[in-house]
Amino acid sequence: MHVGRLAWRTPTGAMLWEIWGRHKLSFLWQGAALAASVFFAQWKEHGASKDVAPLLIMASCICFLGAYLYLLTSFAYIEVDARRVQLGFPGRLLLKPLSTARLVLAPMLFGGLVIVTVFAIWTELVLRHFGSVATSDLLLISAVLLSFFWWMQALAWSLPLLKGRVLVLLVVGLIHLLVAIPPQMPVRISSGCQWRILAALLVSAVPAAWIGLKGMREGRWEGPSRISVLWGRLGSARAQGARKSFGSAFGAQFWLEWRRQGLLLPGISGGMALLMVPGILTGLKWLGAGAGPQDEIQRMMLILPLLVLPLVLSLLMGSALARFDPLHSMGELPLYIAVRPMTNGGFVTAKLAMALATSVLTWLVMTAAFLCVALMGKETLLSKAGLVTPYGPVAFITGCVPGLLLLVIWTWRNLVAGMGAGLTGRTWIIVAFIFSRVLLLDALILLVATAASNVNFRQALLHWLTGILTVCLAAKLAVSIAAFAWGLRRNAITARAVGWIAGGWSVCGLLVAGYAGRVCNSIRQPDLWIWVALGGLLILPLADLAIAPLALAWNRHR
Amino acid sequence: MKFPSPSSAEAVIAVSGLSRHFGPKAALDDVSVFVPRGSVFGLVGENGAGKTTLIKHLLGSLKAQTGSVRVFGLDPVLDPVGVLGRVGYLSERRDLPSWMRVGEFMRYTQAFYPGWDEQYAGQLLEQFQLDPAQRIKTQSQGQQAKTGLLTSLAYRPDLLILDEPSSGLDPVVRRDILEAIIRMVAEEGRTVLFSSHLLDEVERVADHVIMLQRGRVVLNGRTEEVRRGHILAVLAFAKPPAAAPVVAGAHAVAGYGSEWRVLFGGSRLELETAAASVGARVVEERTPTLDEILVARAGGKGS
Repeated sequence: MHVGRLAWRTPTGAMLWEIWGRHKLSFLWQGAALAASVFFAQWKEHGASKDVAPLLIMASCICFLGAYLYLLTSFAYIEVDARRVQLGFPGRLLLKPLSTARLVLAPMLFGGLVIVTVFAIWTELVLRHFGSVATSDLLLISAVLLSFFWWMQALAWSLPLLKGRVLVLLVVGLIHLLVAIPPQMPVRISSGCQWRILAALLVSAVPAAWIGLKGMREGRWEGPSRISVLWGRLGSARAQGARKSFGSAFGAQFWLEWRRQGLLLPGISGGMALLMVPGILTGLKWLGAGAGPQDEIQRMMLILPLLVLPLVLSLLMGSALARFDPLHSMGELPLYIAVRPMTNGGFVTAKLAMALATSVLTWLVMTAAFLCVALMGKETLLSKAGLVTPYGPVAFITGCVPGLLLLVIWTWRNLVAGMGAGLTGRTWIIVAFIFSRVLLLDALILLVATAASNVNFRQALLHWLTGILTVCLAAKLAVSIAAFAWGLRRNAITARAVGWIAGGWSVCGLLVAGYAGRVCNSIRQPDLWIWVALGGLLILPLADLAIAPLALAWNRHR
Repeated sequence: MKFPSPSSAEAVIAVSGLSRHFGPKAALDDVSVFVPRGSVFGLVGENGAGKTTLIKHLLGSLKAQTGSVRVFGLDPVLDPVGVLGRVGYLSERRDLPSWMRVGEFMRYTQAFYPGWDEQYAGQLLEQFQLDPAQRIKTQSQGQQAKTGLLTSLAYRPDLLILDEPSSGLDPVVRRDILEAIIRMVAEEGRTVLFSSHLLDEVERVADHVIMLQRGRVVLNGRTEEVRRGHILAVLAFAKPPAAAPVVAGAHAVAGYGSEWRVLFGGSRLELETAAASVGARVVEERTPTLDEILVARAGGKGS
């Protein structure tokens, strides 16, 4: 079998080449991210001050995690069957004259080897610089990663055959979570037990994958699960009832966007919050009702994950928002969208509106989770805790509203910030954008770290900071105005859409600046206001949104 | 053969000097096509001849590298709303939102077209025997094609563009689709441009035909004129030629011994002259089908 310039003599070789052929560009980025991770670790090791060290560790871990997650998906050998709308083994390979054992073993063994090796190399080059880690713990983590990877493959390949597949997924996920609890945690299973469970998981993963794949090859798929059949019937009844037409093309497009992605962020955030709330309540009860400053900080640390969760999730999901149909490849604009008589700006505006609606819904769900924590843990949280201001709960809640609004804006910002890159439909731009954001984050960490350790640099930076931020803001405005003007000239966007986007940005900017002013005054640091306000205006997306219709035009009219 | 030009009628489609390259490959090379209002144009050619590329230019999915593309006098890239609002399109790829139900897809599409005729949509739904509550992903290929056609016809577009509408479909579905198109044209005098490999379909429906070959227009005219401009003849040689005879004006020559089949582009008189020049005489002749013309021209690789 000849593939490119290489002559693979075995089907296994060809299967493995496919991984390389598909992902070679992203492997370059992954290599760069891993190199950055090593760089930060080396810096931390050689000459970084104690203040800077945590930032460098964070930067190194961000680089590694981003690259590693991508590596897991690259080697998983899992594809989406667009017709059945489900994950599975690449369908084309099921018909090849190869034994099921070979189909199972090649991607599992090779993928497993790669992910364990990369982790081992990272451990040796990076993790060891962050503190002493016992070899037994590293072995345990490696085994958990391998088991997780193999079970991810086994389940994805055989999911259609499994009855109660949601339950199976949950059970396997929970077992891995239990096994992965580090030794420092108060609640954990014994080491011997951990290893016995892991051994069982590892030994059974390959046969499980083999049985699943063999079943798929023999056509033993029993059709959709009962839950999806029931869901389908409910949807059918709903569809028959819904005869009302959409008021406008925008309404129809918003509906499409909402149906595809609208409930994803609130659903995942709410589901995870549901899992986290019992743990938070247990933690609050364990902390007791102490009113000291340390108690407050510990309580805040317990609740913090609920605040951070939607922000992190929205950051991760942002790049997917640009897609019109998740079943289409990244570079493809579905024809049923492309041929609709709507301006590119119209499509973008529908996406922005959906992102705003999903952000609002997410924070309504999270507010419900907070209220749940506040009410169920009232003895420890709302009675004597410092969360209640001296002015009483009503004033506290009123004060929270602008904060909540800011969180909605921040979530929305995370969702739409990568839209311009995503709408181009060019994979290399999307990958470059993601990695450039990671690098930007690392560069900022680097800047802060240097400023923290070098007094002269810090003073110079603070002296010039207002000017730097103003220049950046001016550049952002200039790019935005140019992009809007170009878009208007090319009919990519309407003046009305420009008005909405620019107006929305101004209102959000004023809110950010105003809120920053209040906060800075209340903490008696009025000098900080200009930096916070300028930083806020820089973070709020405008150039991205101005470029988005042009990016879509570039994709739609190739 | 007379090529229609913008001056001959009001052109719904006016493509002039269009070229498109994908890397070193020329997908379209100096293509000029003018489609007058109320006509049915068949676009034919081998795989990779450039049919879909031309259609994508008409829809604005591809931007002209050289030349110009106008649909209703507008540039589909600069004014997608103005063009696409009057165009119905069905693709061989049946690129439909598989997660939607038929009824939902109809409601979604309706929102973009103020001219959506609900009564007509209902008629088509009934005629095509589609279930509005069925998910598109569970439909057969034929049902998906009908769903796509329904949503392309229900707003009575001024121009209907069909890219291999019957590709991969059984004869019953093909007939249904063709009948819907014929009715639309016959009753309302709309303009249709459709590409197809099934040339009997083109002969049945199209009054004009455009043949593309390796990105160039090699034939463009009324279907009957195109057919009558060719002769499929059997030439008899007194002495069997050692190799295939070279007949001037012939697009394909096949046979052996003393009798050779020739597809000739020209008049009866020109054929006789050409035959005489190679020492043969015409013993049989008839007007070829479009299928025979395409095969001969494709086999001749641009002769």
